Amino acid sequence: MAGRSRAARRRAWAAAAAAVGGCVVAGCASARAPAPAPAPSAATAPLATSLAQAGGRAWAIVAMGGSAADDNSFWEVFTRPLGSTQWALVTPPGVADNGGLVAALPPAAQGLDVAVRPSQDLTFSPLALTGNGGKTWDTGLVDASVAAVPDALALGGGRMLVLLGDGAIDQAATSGAGIPGEGVSGAAPPSASAAAWTRLAAPGAIAGSAAGRDCHVTAVTAVSLTAAGTPLVGASCARPGIAGIFAPAGSGWRAAGPALTGRLAGEPVRVLRLTAGGGAGTTALLQAGTGDGDRGPTSLLAAWTADGMHWTVSPPLPVNGAQVLSSGAGPGATAAWVLLAGGRAATIAGPGAPGTPGAPGATGTAWRSLPAPPHGTAVLAPGPGGALDALAVSGGSALTVFRLTPAGAWQQTQVISVPVQLGSSS
Amino acid sequence: MNSGLNPADPTIVAAFRSALVHQWVIVALIFVLLLVAWGATRAWAGGHGATAAGSPAPWHEPRARRLLRVGFGILWVFDGILQAQPQMAGGLPQEVIKPAAATSPAWVQHLVNWGGSIWTYHPIQAGAATVWIQVGIGMWLIFAPRGWSSRLAGLASVAWGLVVWAFGEAFGGIFAPGLTVLFGAPGAVLIYAVAGALIALPERAWESPRTGRLTLAGTGVFLLGMALLQAWPGRGFWQGTAHGQASGLADMVQSMAATSQPRVLASLVSAFGNFIAAHGFAVNLVAVIALAAIGAAFCVSALRGDARLARIAVLVAAVFCLADWVLIEDLGFFGGVGTDPNSMIPLILLFTAGYLAMSPAPQPEPAAAATAEDAGPATDAQPDAPAKPPSRLPAWLTTAGLRFAGLSGWSIAALGAIGVIVVGAAPMAFASANRNADPIIAQALAGASGPMNEPAPGFTLTSQDGHQVSLSSLRGKVVLLTFLDPVCTTDCPIIAQELRAADAMLGAKAGSTELVAVVANPTYTSTAFTAAFTRQEGLSQVPNWLYLTGPLSQLVPVWHQYGIEVQNLPAGAMSAHNDLAFVISATGRLRQEISDDPGPGTAATQSSFAGLLANSVLQVMG
Repeated sequence: MAGRSRAARRRAWAAAAAAVGGCVVAGCASARAPAPAPAPSAATAPLATSLAQAGGRAWAIVAMGGSAADDNSFWEVFTRPLGSTQWALVTPPGVADNGGLVAALPPAAQGLDVAVRPSQDLTFSPLALTGNGGKTWDTGLVDASVAAVPDALALGGGRMLVLLGDGAIDQAATSGAGIPGEGVSGAAPPSASAAAWTRLAAPGAIAGSAAGRDCHVTAVTAVSLTAAGTPLVGASCARPGIAGIFAPAGSGWRAAGPALTGRLAGEPVRVLRLTAGGGAGTTALLQAGTGDGDRGPTSLLAAWTADGMHWTVSPPLPVNGAQVLSSGAGPGATAAWVLLAGGRAATIAGPGAPGTPGAPGATGTAWRSLPAPPHGTAVLAPGPGGALDALAVSGGSALTVFRLTPAGAWQQTQVISVPVQLGSSS
Repeated sequence: MNSGLNPADPTIVAAFRSALVHQWVIVALIFVLLLVAWGATRAWAGGHGATAAGSPAPWHEPRARRLLRVGFGILWVFDGILQAQPQMAGGLPQEVIKPAAATSPAWVQHLVNWGGSIWTYHPIQAGAATVWIQVGIGMWLIFAPRGWSSRLAGLASVAWGLVVWAFGEAFGGIFAPGLTVLFGAPGAVLIYAVAGALIALPERAWESPRTGRLTLAGTGVFLLGMALLQAWPGRGFWQGTAHGQASGLADMVQSMAATSQPRVLASLVSAFGNFIAAHGFAVNLVAVIALAAIGAAFCVSALRGDARLARIAVLVAAVFCLADWVLIEDLGFFGGVGTDPNSMIPLILLFTAGYLAMSPAPQPEPAAAATAEDAGPATDAQPDAPAKPPSRLPAWLTTAGLRFAGLSGWSIAALGAIGVIVVGAAPMAFASANRNADPIIAQALAGASGPMNEPAPGFTLTSQDGHQVSLSSLRGKVVLLTFLDPVCTTDCPIIAQELRAADAMLGAKAGSTELVAVVANPTYTSTAFTAAFTRQEGLSQVPNWLYLTGPLSQLVPVWHQYGIEVQNLPAGAMSAHNDLAFVISATGRLRQEISDDPGPGTAATQSSFAGLLANSVLQVMG
């Protein structure tokens, strides 16, 4: 009897210990979980950008509205005609652009080709094509998702290149305002059949080429075309000291980027931008340094080429880990500009620059730091008469244009109220 | 799991009420039939000289077991009545189930979503089933005091309790942070299951104090563990506020006070929430000490068999639990989708039963054979040696009839209760086997379809593969016509999938149906886009799919004739157009107009719309 009682007490204590132990485990498990680690920084340039045509018309692509996560971010296209001091909203109609816009300059002086990146349940990329400064738009089609980089579209030499989200590169013949396979604006839109687009490079083709393996390509980041119509492809290279720019060579690809020397030879380089200047040459923006974790990129370089073989490289712009918020290039071998996190901006006049783009006194290929842009600045863009404009977004639906005066101050010149249709995509 | 429904949607509420009324009629019929059959067989048995046999050995049900059985029976019935609240059918998944699992690990959410999808696909059947299953289990517990029937009722309570605990309470939140017994952890319905298991024990288990002592000891260990969790640092219970805002228990109480309830109660609970916010440390200290002391007292009294200590501990615990039930759990069932009175009342019943079972009453000596009437309501009378069966009836039927006639009134009521459970479970079982959602969801979102009977306006447009197609060329088939934007990012792809699913539901009759979409975008009108959209939606292999377009000069008249308004919105937005579908008969007459705005576009609404469209086509086919 006593033995049975002791056995019962032992069982009871064992059960109690097990239950308490379970509660300890539950208590530990139910403690608040640590916050997840932040996502690594993107290896590509943001989509916000500006473009400038040789004739002087400028374009800007800016995100406005609300949260991108809620499909309330809408990308807008603004344009400033040659000689005008005013910007105008000319976003192509008919399709939701929550996924972003990628643009390229066609040969036509007043033209712009825009690819609408798909979002939500749309999987292909409508094209919008204008030849009259955005007054009217024609349509085209890329039957796939265009890559989320600002230089995923390129025009020149009678062809259009598109970099797709899977890393493939397709091409099509163009004419007139830049409609693949069709005539000038107003003609019937192009067919999406295989006849319109052909494959220039399959996914992994660049990385798998001898030149790509040599630089350890990790991602294709931009496409461009020289004045002669030679394709140029930009990439991120893991191997230090190599600017991953490639051009076709027979059935493969050859290295076509500038040589990097000095300290840059020891750093991995990413091609952030490879912008065709409307048939007048190509401007590249290179990022040196890993850009990962806490270090961030160390410096930026601009480089210019007219033929895809001979490059002019700028001195490095130290960025001390600051991420690029937006960037752009002028027509031909003129200005390039960058907007950096932390309220910094810089511009540089290229080797073909006729004068000083916006920063009084800046000459040659030296970076010029600009006065801190106004709060909310999304992009810099060429202003009238060689000035520099800063386009700032406030409240999600107002675009304020500031112009840099010769005295070095940002002066507000225009406010555009944009009728953003919040909630229309949900 | 979200069905996308407004919980108070009048269509869903009306359908839910209608289902409950219909099933109530069936329940009443079951009881009437049982009573009639019982009366008839008793009369027949009496007419054949058969008398009720001597009753089995009388058994005074222990107080503890009776408390559990009747107490939890009443709770199940009450919970079943709560399930009949108007917003339950449309609102339970997103208002109760999803929030319960929101902070649990992904695997719990996945499991809860899988189970909850049955509800979101069939909200009316699921809502009504839950009412009758719970009412039936409660009635069964109350009406079956002993024997195999009573034990089965206990097992039914265990089974359904575990189902609700897993899928309705996300395992009582034991895998989520912030677990506290003060707010209902580890899930009220788990206590129902424990009680059911105790009720299912053999009768002899109640003849010794062991069952009571184990119950009390188990409750004590549980409370000790909960005290430890309540005291655990870093879980947010030692402070009433964080960053100037109510946190932890204060935050929970304030959220309860904000639910729809009598103002007096809301004020009381809110005031207590403010008190906790101001004195969080002290409140938690009291709670920890109380839980620990009560738990320890339960354990010691169980181990020692000390009934006096157990009585004191039970009284203190009951006061503590009642205070928590009012001030923190806020009675548990307000807000329109409250499913039960939370955990404190069941907990009181459980440990009180444990205390009562520590001192079981002795069973009476077996009496001489008595009639079924003398045995009272708690026994199932055994039939006498069967009377000589009538010559026309098989022997087995005669025996069954005599046994049925010998049942007590309580047993008949228990049989009725089982019938109530079947009334709830059977439709739900059939519905859950149907992978297509109930069309009522689409009707709630879209509104009633408008019947018509007029000639369908004709048109000739270009298909996605470049062929000219006229509406008149489709005579002989029922046409399901709608208007879609080929570069739409949301609604139109969803509608396309609903059309595709509807076509699949039509089966062989899809061969007599044509799915026709017309472009609803003034800018992107090329066949390049209709072809790209067709590929995107997997409709290339659907032989009866046509996506028609043409120049604006051809499209605009078609839009106008069918009441479709299309316009480009500015600043990067997609084209706007209303979502309408039309069913055109094989003779070319417009027969139905349906709003096919997909609403939230959840899996349930898509499936439901597909069913609605398919049914509409079948109606016109005749």
